[in-house]
Amino acid sequence: MNGFRKEFSTLTLVLIPVAIAINVAIGQLAITLKLPLYLDSIGTILVGVLVGPWAGAITGFLANVVWTLSGLFPQAIAWAGVAAIIGALAGAFGRAGWVNSWSRAALAGIITGFVAAILSAPIAAYVFGGVTGTGTDAVVAMFRSAGLDALGANLGQGAVSEPLDKAISFVVVWAVMLALPLRFKNRFGNVEE
Amino acid sequence: MQSSSLYIERNSGLHALHPLTKLALLGLCLVLAFALPDIRWLLAAFGLLLLPLAAWGRILAPFARSGFSIILPFVISLALIQGFFAGGDTALLTLGRFAFTWEGLLAGLTVSARLLVALGGTLLLMLSTRPDHLMLALTERGLPQALGYIVLTALQIFPRFQDRARVILEAQQARGLETQVNLLRRLRLLVPLIGPLILASIVDVEERAMALEARAFSRPGQKTSLISLHDSGFQVLLRTGLLLAALALIVWRLLPLVRA
Repeated sequence: MNGFRKEFSTLTLVLIPVAIAINVAIGQLAITLKLPLYLDSIGTILVGVLVGPWAGAITGFLANVVWTLSGLFPQAIAWAGVAAIIGALAGAFGRAGWVNSWSRAALAGIITGFVAAILSAPIAAYVFGGVTGTGTDAVVAMFRSAGLDALGANLGQGAVSEPLDKAISFVVVWAVMLALPLRFKNRFGNVEE
Repeated sequence: MQSSSLYIERNSGLHALHPLTKLALLGLCLVLAFALPDIRWLLAAFGLLLLPLAAWGRILAPFARSGFSIILPFVISLALIQGFFAGGDTALLTLGRFAFTWEGLLAGLTVSARLLVALGGTLLLMLSTRPDHLMLALTERGLPQALGYIVLTALQIFPRFQDRARVILEAQQARGLETQVNLLRRLRLLVPLIGPLILASIVDVEERAMALEARAFSRPGQKTSLISLHDSGFQVLLRTGLLLAALALIVWRLLPLVRA
């Protein structure tokens, strides 16, 4: 519990809502630019890398709660646990120094993406009858037509879109970490310079 | 301050209920959504419980509008995917080697109806409850205050960040940034767009942290609230009743499984 307390300074508590807003703003940018990516967890990954696994997990979880409360994407709360694990993984990878080079950051993203895909698929399959109510349902339909069941098709859809999405998100966070002032990064101290 | 939420201010009995009572109602709706056996029961629950409650809360029009626009993509996806792939004997339409079956369509619509009941409960809570009242009710029952602060602040700065992203996009376009190019080049656009967005907000973070500290934000101990929530003995009873009903439903559905 000591690590938990250490991560939650006032600065962290202020950073988390900003990170949640960054998730949404960049997610909307991705839609405006018509990118075939979600890019809706960059803020979560940033908090994980900068502050630590606990803060990352809380950011991910609350980001989905806020998403539901705002009415922008009400089904988000069903995936809050997955978002928490993405944040926690980002914290662990950051602490292990993987986000110090872009290639390892990309690899961390690919691993996180596969974990996210495996954890999200049962939720889509068993809570929502195999769909998410978004554009990626077309990919699910493709996998179903190849003969997979609901769980398999959602796993397939996740395995196609999540690793690439998270790899790009991690590389973006790597670039942001380079640009952040050292004075700011040192106030959190998850990443050793 | 403008906040991003679905809340609509009305003077109604539903609005006046304690947030926890409405949360208990949502709990019952979630249990109903997954415990009721078939589509007729689900639609009856929606029509006989949720719609009258929305009418009582004087939010029937926004309730129907939000509900419709959120459930529609699910209905389309589910009807198509389950219709073609869930199997069944009564083919309504044949496309190559795939048959669109009545059984599949019904299965898809049943899942949609479950989602509709769950969504209806959520919308009732969100349309009739201010987010800060909901969070206050939860912190009064032991939710850490920090979590309430995070959720409410995020809801408040949401619209400002979307504006900021739009301003940055327009500013870069004014400098000649092309957004109508091929995919790989659009991916590279992320750098000049995300960079300023995040770096500008980090400055925000430090200033906000200092402002909060100057107001004893992290001081331990009891804090008083500007708003006070109204609760009554009747509502405590009502909440207990709602939760007992939910529990009874779960037991009723699980009983045959235990016997088998």
